[in-house]
Amino acid sequence: MGRIVLENTTKSFGDVQVIPPLNLTIEDGEFAVFVGPSGCGKSTLLRMIAGLEDLTSGKIVIDDKDVTEVPPAQRGLAMVFQSYALYPHMTVRKNIGFPLRMEKMSQSEIDAKVDAAAKSLNLVDYLDRKPGQLSGGQRQRVAIGRAIVRDPSAFLFDEPLSNLDAALRVGMRLEISEMHQRMKTTMIYVTHDQVEAMTMADKIVVLQAGVIEQVGSPLDLYHKPRNIFVAGFIGSPKMNIFSGEEAAKFDAHSVGIRPEHLDVSTEGGIWKGTVGVAEHLGSDTFIHVHDTGLGDMFTVRISGDIAVTHGDTIYLTPHEGRMHRFDAQGMRIE
Amino acid sequence: MSDRRIPRLLQTPAVVLLLIWMLVPLSMTLYFSFIRYVLNSLRRPEWTKPSIENWRGFGNYEFVLNSKDFLLAIQNSLLIVCSILFLTVILGVLIAVLINKAFPGQGIVRVLLISPFFVMPAVNAVLWINMILDPVLGLQGVAVEGINGLLDALRMTPVIGNFFGMWPELQPISFRATQTSAWAVIIMVTWQWTPFAVLIFMTSLQSEDQQQKEAAILDGASTWSQFRFLTLPHLGRPIAIVVMIQAIFHLSLYAEIEIVSRGNGNKNLPYLIGEFANNNIGAASATGIFAVILANIVAIFLLRMVGKTLME
Ligand SMILES: Nc1ncnc2c1ncn2[C@@H]1O[C@H](COP(=O)(O)OP(=O)(O)O)[C@@H](O)[C@H]1O
Ligand SMILES: [Mg+2]
Repeated sequence: MGRIVLENTTKSFGDVQVIPPLNLTIEDGEFAVFVGPSGCGKSTLLRMIAGLEDLTSGKIVIDDKDVTEVPPAQRGLAMVFQSYALYPHMTVRKNIGFPLRMEKMSQSEIDAKVDAAAKSLNLVDYLDRKPGQLSGGQRQRVAIGRAIVRDPSAFLFDEPLSNLDAALRVGMRLEISEMHQRMKTTMIYVTHDQVEAMTMADKIVVLQAGVIEQVGSPLDLYHKPRNIFVAGFIGSPKMNIFSGEEAAKFDAHSVGIRPEHLDVSTEGGIWKGTVGVAEHLGSDTFIHVHDTGLGDMFTVRISGDIAVTHGDTIYLTPHEGRMHRFDAQGMRIE
Repeated sequence: MSDRRIPRLLQTPAVVLLLIWMLVPLSMTLYFSFIRYVLNSLRRPEWTKPSIENWRGFGNYEFVLNSKDFLLAIQNSLLIVCSILFLTVILGVLIAVLINKAFPGQGIVRVLLISPFFVMPAVNAVLWINMILDPVLGLQGVAVEGINGLLDALRMTPVIGNFFGMWPELQPISFRATQTSAWAVIIMVTWQWTPFAVLIFMTSLQSEDQQQKEAAILDGASTWSQFRFLTLPHLGRPIAIVVMIQAIFHLSLYAEIEIVSRGNGNKNLPYLIGEFANNNIGAASATGIFAVILANIVAIFLLRMVGKTLME
């Protein structure tokens, strides 16, 4: 079990309110991702759930039990930190077994659980090493192992992959997703990387300055961003957004169109521009288009390749029904 | 000249100076310890000049080993050094952990805590032995007298008087007596050197990783377990440093011993060297070599012990 409910929780550091009143429900077994720019309060929110930060007001309910005043260890949650926070003087075996040792579990039981966790995380050969003798990816695994053995009702991850190199990050991302599929335990995962959010989450919570901008499945957020912030934050490359006269033609204050929802032609289309840089990824090509008269540069994503060079004239046409319209407050118009 | 040789060349004077600085006294001590060399001798005036002709082999060493104070001096040196190390490390860790948390007046408390370290050793000894530990005039005497006075008054009162009648009269301890003077030295040096330990441990505590602590809290570690499994291992190296430096310093304690008891029943090796050096430089040098050997044994032994117990 692991249903986590935040009710009107707020957090202030001194006079600065980092989290304004916030309501959120994370269902049992869900993989929830908190995503938002750096400094928006993701870690603070996660630490409040873990019990490492006191709430300024409001309450936190886990499995119908108010845990606002319950000490961290008794909330049944396990956390994986960005810096791994392994105990440097203990071997991997002792690190993973530490929470069990604190529960006063018998040594034989501890050994059995540690061995099982080590096997599932490919750490068997490293059990007698100290954290200082491990690579970044192995340390991350040890941190996850230490969380797994506790058999928690929910896992909390705070940017667990941001210290790893790109290739490892993709691998670990898959492993964590795999782990979630297998264990079906609630997971809350904090990241500033929208790709991680999109690929892993059942439910994405987009935060900005401590305020929830939108909650929804990855595809919800992709297809129906509630406002301009979410529209610009989710999706890669970023959505093209323009406003002013051209937007008024569509009865909106601003209009957004994703790079992959534009057709490109050298003969004719709605908007005309000049080709800037073209990034060829093989499978896809990103073309940066200038001088469209729509404000900023446009990015277009087409699959395969196209024979255009720098300075060519190009015409863009948006796909039918793929435009996102926003009012003066930046909210979506249906 | 290549790029590497310039720095080497520039380092050379410092290295040479250090070598001379260490090697000259050590070799002179070694040399003196193998010859007959006294400051004053009417009978054998030729012994008053250091010369290879007065070669005595291990004679000085034998003489020192057989002198009645030698074993006592070694025992005393070890007792004093080990007790001081034990007390300063424990007190140092406790105080450092205590004042590491933020509290009002922290700055002043820290300065006050460090201040004993700035008192000169001789002054420290005079203050302690005369003003605090003296059985009559010192704080100890006054306190014992006060408590005895109170007990007397209580014995006079009806009913409970019988109960206090069974309590013994308190006797002040004379720290100048032969058995207790070592303890006077231990107390005063501990007082003076605990700040040093606190200072080193405090710096180390400030570099402790807070996320590890938080991870431990989530893992269900009590305050004691956090201290035992995270803080104490983290302090392992600073403790080794404190032990090492203090062992070197306290093996050569002199002023305190001189002031407390003039060495009566409480000599350590340096004091014994001092006594021999009044006339017999050869014996003093041999004792000095024994002291060097002892210092090395103590250092190696202590470091092993500290390393084993803390690093799991
Ligand atoms: N202990 C603290 N004291 C004061 N301000 C803090 C503290 N912790 C975080 N903050 C502030 O709260 C805001 C949110 O921080 P954080 O939750 O770490 O952001 P994120 O994890 O989203 O990058 C930041 O502006 C940060 O400066
Ligand atoms: Mg953060």
